[in-house]
Amino acid sequence: MVINEKYIKSDMMFLVKSEIRLRILTELNARPQTIKEIVDKTKMAYSSVSNNLNKLENKNYVVKENRIYTITPMTKLYFNQLMDFKKSIDVIENFDSFWYKHNISHINNELIENITELYKSKLIETSPIDIYKTHNNIKKQLESSHNIKGIVPYIHPDYPLLIENILKNNGKVELIMEKDIYLGLISQINSDLKNRSVRNGSLNVHILKNNLDIYLLICDNSMNLGLFKNDGSYDQNRILNSDNPDSLKWANTLFENIKSRVI
Amino acid sequence: MSTNTIEKNQTHEFKNVKYILTSSMRTLILVVLYNNRRNLNEIRDELKKPSATILHGLKELEENNLIKKDRKYYELTSNGYLLATNIIKLIDNWYSIEKNKYFWNSHDLSGIPENLLNKLYLLKDAQFISSTTSDLSNAFNTYIELISTSPELTIMLPIYSENHLKHLIRLLKNGNLKQLTLLINTEIFQTITKSRYLKKSLIENEKVKIIETDENFKIFLTFCRDFMTLTLFFKDNHYDDSQIIIDKHQSAIKWSKDLFDTILE
Repeated sequence: MVINEKYIKSDMMFLVKSEIRLRILTELNARPQTIKEIVDKTKMAYSSVSNNLNKLENKNYVVKENRIYTITPMTKLYFNQLMDFKKSIDVIENFDSFWYKHNISHINNELIENITELYKSKLIETSPIDIYKTHNNIKKQLESSHNIKGIVPYIHPDYPLLIENILKNNGKVELIMEKDIYLGLISQINSDLKNRSVRNGSLNVHILKNNLDIYLLICDNSMNLGLFKNDGSYDQNRILNSDNPDSLKWANTLFENIKSRVI
Repeated sequence: MSTNTIEKNQTHEFKNVKYILTSSMRTLILVVLYNNRRNLNEIRDELKKPSATILHGLKELEENNLIKKDRKYYELTSNGYLLATNIIKLIDNWYSIEKNKYFWNSHDLSGIPENLLNKLYLLKDAQFISSTTSDLSNAFNTYIELISTSPELTIMLPIYSENHLKHLIRLLKNGNLKQLTLLINTEIFQTITKSRYLKKSLIENEKVKIIETDENFKIFLTFCRDFMTLTLFFKDNHYDDSQIIIDKHQSAIKWSKDLFDTILE
């Protein structure tokens, strides 16, 4: 594709250039309505709504019948692409401190294109008065989970016991980790339980030669993503956490994607 | 919250989308740097714009933490990379919808559920085949030829067409077609039942699974493992047999399957 001014199509430009048009389309995307309803809802001036509705009608973005304006299916299609894009910007900006100056190289393009699935996530950040906030949050999830999957680049002293408990309760644990970290973890877990769990498949660890610069923990109904800073150190102060099904799906795809790449 | 604050928030709701998409310079720089880090000369050669304009764009993007300068080279920050990836996705989707815009625009799309309508870009490699005055049944013939070699087919059939049914029965009889799933509405089902021949060859055929629905869908969709085809109705409710979209890519076949499943539900 040629990269010049025409890269952004003129019809896209026409829609995004005007805040008023975008707001009108947002309204009509929800349901067909009259000018008056749009004006009441958006509190925009009657003249600007009417003027822009005319422009939209002339270019066939909306149709008018009995004073009611309806967005055409094609406009819906285009408009929703824009809304999806807006949502992706929101995910980037809402979690700015999470992404900025962090290493995202393990997140492949398809997952970045679907970053809107993280829209309903929460950014959990430690603060001077609560420096264990990220860890305590994860601990709570581990305590109440039956099955977990994770890519863990470090072992918190609490982890062996938490994992042991999951295995004792017949839960499943699947981990991707570097050899030394694995040895550190396993030395602290009851060896009978460990051997039994490995045999019956409830403990499944994929061991790597090199550490992965990403933290991912998927519990029964939640996911947690942690990133490394650009200087190579793990950022323990921030976790992106979500119990939204879309985010869980996203996290599972990331797990499987990394697994298929490194195993 | 006072009305005033609501107003203010809403006015800024699209601020970011506007910021990115209304400056071709900002967008273009992000897209150029997406592939590789570049120095000013390289960016200038690629965009064919004066240095001053480019420098202005670079400065703005740097202030917004979207790009960074390392010695003489500009590169995307992680935020910039996330954004650029999604800009490219938006533009690619926009282009792919546009490619068959004529087809989409001239037909009634209201029968396609919104979540699938939003993913129409998945049919980006679709081939558009249209009948011409010299060959009135070009679309139909292409369709028949295409389905002739497939051992299994799933079809959403919104029209009662003896011509289509006749060909399907022929394929079932000659053994090429081993499994046919047919989704039809009650009215068409009853019409088929009235003909003893059609009843015997389709409804009572063990290779055929017929699903009856009360829904009057306006989509003629066919798919199997290797391709999908779509024909639609005109906006005046008449079925259009002169234009067909064919796509052999997995993304389009997956879209078709999702559409079928959604209508089934």
